[in-house]
Amino acid sequence: MALCSIQVNVNGTNYQSVVEPRLSLADFLRHELGLTGTHVGCEHGVCGICNVLVDGRSVRACLLLAVQVDGQSVETVEGLAEGEKLHPIQQAFMDEQGLQCGFCTPGFIMSLKELLDCNPSPSEDEIKDVLGGSICRCTGYAGILRAVQSAVAKMGGGQPSSAD
Amino acid sequence: MAVDIPKSFEALPTSSPRHIGRGRRRVEDPALLTGRTQFVDDVELPRMLHCAILRSPFAHAKITEVDTREAESLPGVVAIVTGDDALRWSHPAQSSPEGWGTHCLATDAVRYVGEPVAAVAAVNRYVAEDAIELITVEYDPLDAVTDPVAAMAPDSTLVHAGQGTNVMMDRVFTWGEVDQAFEAADHVVSEKFRWNRMGANPTETFGCICEWDPLDLSLTIRGSIQSPSMFGLGRAATFALPSNKVNIISQPHGGSFGGKGGTRGTDVTCLLSRKADGRPVKWIEDRIEYLTAGGSQAWDRHYQASISVRQDGTVTGLRVGLIDDLGATGEAYGAICAAKPLAAFTGPYTIPVAEYDLKLVATNKVPSGPYRGMGPPPHFFVLEQLMDLAARRLGMDPAEFRRKNFIPNEAFPYTIPSGNEYDSGNYEEVLNQALALADYPALRSAQAEARQEGRLVGIGVASAIEPGVFDWNAYAIVGMPGTGVPEGATVSIDIMGFITVRVGFSLEGQGQYTLISQLVSDYFGTDPEMVRVVYLDTQSAPPSFGPGGSRLGVAITGAVLGACDRIRTKACRVVAALMQTEPENIVLHDGLFGIPGVPEAQMSVSDVAGTMLARSDLLPPDVDPRPEATHVWTAPGRTPADEEGRAKSYLTAAQAVHVVQVEIDRETGFVEIQRYCLADDCGTRLNPATVEGQTDGSVAQGIGAALLEEYSFDEDGQPQTTTFMDYLMPTVYEIPKVEKVAVVTPSPFTPLGAKGCGEGAIHTTPAAVLCAINDALAPIGQMAREVPAAPKRLWELIRAAGDTPEDGLI
Amino acid sequence: MKPAPFEYAAPPTLDEALAILSENDPDEVKILAGGQSLMPLLNMRLARPELLLDLTRIDELGGVRALDSAVSIGALATKRDVEDSSLVRDRNPLFMESTVMIGHPQIRNRGTVGGSMVQADPAAEYPAVAVALGAELVARGPGGERVIEADDFFITYLTTSLEPGEILTEVRVPDLPAGTGWSIQEVARRHGDFAIVGAVAMLRLESGVCVDPRIVIFGASDRARRHPEAEALLAGERPSAALFESAGQAVAQSLEDPTDDVHASADYRRDLARVLCARTLSEAMERAEGSGA
Repeated sequence: MALCSIQVNVNGTNYQSVVEPRLSLADFLRHELGLTGTHVGCEHGVCGICNVLVDGRSVRACLLLAVQVDGQSVETVEGLAEGEKLHPIQQAFMDEQGLQCGFCTPGFIMSLKELLDCNPSPSEDEIKDVLGGSICRCTGYAGILRAVQSAVAKMGGGQPSSAD
Repeated sequence: MAVDIPKSFEALPTSSPRHIGRGRRRVEDPALLTGRTQFVDDVELPRMLHCAILRSPFAHAKITEVDTREAESLPGVVAIVTGDDALRWSHPAQSSPEGWGTHCLATDAVRYVGEPVAAVAAVNRYVAEDAIELITVEYDPLDAVTDPVAAMAPDSTLVHAGQGTNVMMDRVFTWGEVDQAFEAADHVVSEKFRWNRMGANPTETFGCICEWDPLDLSLTIRGSIQSPSMFGLGRAATFALPSNKVNIISQPHGGSFGGKGGTRGTDVTCLLSRKADGRPVKWIEDRIEYLTAGGSQAWDRHYQASISVRQDGTVTGLRVGLIDDLGATGEAYGAICAAKPLAAFTGPYTIPVAEYDLKLVATNKVPSGPYRGMGPPPHFFVLEQLMDLAARRLGMDPAEFRRKNFIPNEAFPYTIPSGNEYDSGNYEEVLNQALALADYPALRSAQAEARQEGRLVGIGVASAIEPGVFDWNAYAIVGMPGTGVPEGATVSIDIMGFITVRVGFSLEGQGQYTLISQLVSDYFGTDPEMVRVVYLDTQSAPPSFGPGGSRLGVAITGAVLGACDRIRTKACRVVAALMQTEPENIVLHDGLFGIPGVPEAQMSVSDVAGTMLARSDLLPPDVDPRPEATHVWTAPGRTPADEEGRAKSYLTAAQAVHVVQVEIDRETGFVEIQRYCLADDCGTRLNPATVEGQTDGSVAQGIGAALLEEYSFDEDGQPQTTTFMDYLMPTVYEIPKVEKVAVVTPSPFTPLGAKGCGEGAIHTTPAAVLCAINDALAPIGQMAREVPAAPKRLWELIRAAGDTPEDGLI
Repeated sequence: MKPAPFEYAAPPTLDEALAILSENDPDEVKILAGGQSLMPLLNMRLARPELLLDLTRIDELGGVRALDSAVSIGALATKRDVEDSSLVRDRNPLFMESTVMIGHPQIRNRGTVGGSMVQADPAAEYPAVAVALGAELVARGPGGERVIEADDFFITYLTTSLEPGEILTEVRVPDLPAGTGWSIQEVARRHGDFAIVGAVAMLRLESGVCVDPRIVIFGASDRARRHPEAEALLAGERPSAALFESAGQAVAQSLEDPTDDVHASADYRRDLARVLCARTLSEAMERAEGSGA
């Protein structure tokens, strides 16, 4: 099996790596780069726990191969906070108890980042559309919904929506 | 030394608590939110190998040959184990009931699909999975038995030939004159019910890293382990090791809900580490492994139950017949779930006599295990449907029928027929609050209008008890020995006044580290930021059980406050010596030790701690110079179970009333939850935001149980629900807004009056949702007796009612 | 749950992809587009190709373009590309609606239009609307380009009429004819799950009667199909609840070999097909009336 050389920008850092074609993006991030903040829940694309951003779009890291992101940029939960300052979405999850065990949280946060980057004042339907792609077993979603509202307020939402 | 643990906020050494009783931000969260919390799969150890497990494709078969030669020659493979290794190096798993455990790898036969047959340790998981495909196993398939009723027949195929039967236990428990009650009753309501297998499915599956030390003959296991001390004792038994040679390191875990399981996979991984000369081996259960053969398939139950009722609406007796399908072995302790209903058998009602006809049966399915609630949720589903049937028979409103049978306030502490004692309650107030929140009369009138239009709208009003703070004695009937479940904490104050609390349980999601920081900061008048909570492994930690049985919030509060009090006592002696007075004259208040009313005779906590640590020469000679203490809390007053299983078992009894409105789509059978209101009373709320979070999550799991979640098997025992495409957990779309109101009746028996509340709403939610569904179906003469109330089942019921909707209706 | 080993190729042009395909045993090659269905199969080792041929680097297969009376959607256009396309929104609201019904945003960001067509999942939305709209699927192979009618493209469960060595390049979705009322509805256990049963209905109203009615049922059997018996009942008739109910009954009668699984029995699916047929016709009629006003 031929190995592949890839170049990926993750959270602003360029990485060059030689990987087996079958290595998933999730395993690449976690076990090759040590970015273990991206968790793995089902490895068949349903639970949404491994959501990361590839070129700004949220995707399942278990349904992508590392070789497929050659030349692209990836954002993970490790890239959100600036030093000691949490990203407003992270802060909102903390303020509103949007997490309990926290295992699913990075996947939710990354999907929400895509949403709020594109659309600072999403409608309830748009929020649910994004949240519906991930499973949380602890919170019953109540705290997560509160956190999204809080994040929208923090990030200057309430302004008219504008597409990017 | 007498230890004084405050029973209320007012008894804390502070003028007014600033932290406890408030919804604080959680100390656990920054690391979780930034991806820095180390879950087990995030741990890398030098020379670590990775395990993949080869599992049985048959529900029942003899194994005639296992050939691992080709797999051994695959580059990257380091060790392979089979049943022969398990026979050589381990014992069968402990089980409940006793004697129904097997070796961690099949030795002669496989008894469920997914049972481990062989395992590989290799340089990475990819290669390990390549290797297990190269192992050839010859099976001689046998008939599988998957129906527990059929399994009880004398001529049934036997899951374990050596047992001579599939019946693990068959006993009738009678508490009072049940026959008389039913003979004297004006009405007897009797029904069959079915609760299908479902379970925890935490977002993180189980995982472990096992290291066998070949020279020391000891074992170190890191893992997503809910109850580290019990887990360690189990492994010591499996491998015949002294218990002090097994060290368990519990990593933070991604939820558990009782359903982490993982003991069998851990034992397999330990064997691999031993075979690999002690290299650490990691096994991360994947989701298909979890869904096929993992740790939480719970409550596979067939019920026949009845209540006896007087014409005035008084319920006089309860009979529950339960055939509980435990699957192939007793290793996962599913039997405990059949025993736990004894802690709240008659729910919130004054039903004076009861009978439990309990049959535990083995079948060729995955061993069943615990899940949030540990058994009462199906029991209350049954009891609450019977209550509604009786109310309907008598023409009484279901809320009023329940009110009539509630245990009255003045009766607490109240002993139920099955032996447990409820600590306190205010059930009628909880009902009133729930009905008011929902505006129950308005719901009923809207329902009447909807019914006029032919719509299937229903309202459920259900109430249940959450037994809190478990004790082993609750499970005596299924062979669990002993009484007493300890939780310890060590509190230390350093020379700068910072405080460290050491405990034996890891993060799981319920926010107990935050609770500890709240307790300690209010006790010593510091800021929560000055308190740090540190996890210790089982060889270092004070005695600990960890989370489970809705206990840890109460138990750790007792442990921490007990340790604080021990420090206080010690510090008072020190301060008294420094101030040349007697210790009983020294009081701790708002962070100062001193003589009340003498402003110049006060020392801060950090000054006292600093003096103790730096100037032991100034201390009285018999005072331990460390500002540190350990306290181990166990629930007081627990009694051994008698012959009929009766015991004071769970220390607290929280109670709730849920009011739910649903509409069933008459054509498709789909249920929409249109309103969800609840009132609950779990005593003093130590961190109200956390309690609400537990409630929200538990309602969601209860809705999953009521409507969506089910492990299905075909007749040959093949699982049909092995992916998240088929095992359906609720998403944000399936969970309605939950309106909540709290009633607070402190427990007289616990630290600060708190009650166990972690398992929470799932005790009531499935019952309430099914009550609502059955209220909706009542006008067409149908009743849902099976959980989950999947659309296919409701569609069948609606169709059976006759496809004759009233004129003008679609 | 890790894939078996495979070789990987991600050519930048269609010609190179076709060449790679012709040089290998077609049974040993899997074509990767968005991967939202294929990757789970690889992870579970239910698909185990020698070679994974990744088309996502081929720019010419992307994009959404206007044709005279149709929209051409590149096979590698993602569902998100469609969702963001004002062209599709204007020309074909039915196709747009079916797009946003698919899965979740994280799936739509990656999953492709062509991938869904070639996967031919009987419960998927895209094959159903392709059949209803009479879309054309364009394939390139060793013998050149071939245009396949949607109804001829979908054969049965996970099977299409693509030949070994062919690659789907484009889907031509005819514009929704003026005045057409349409509806797509489905029942699924949870929001975003594959449908237990779904239905697509289209019709126009001329002089108060139904014209060119189309009914497609999906999720109920081996593939999305139109139901000519039911359509014949509707054509030329005045719409009414009773008429739609009889169309639903005709659909239920003509449904062959409904799927039976853990979520729904064959009988239940048959009945859901009846119900959804009537419901979608009713909604389509409302839209037709709205557009004619």
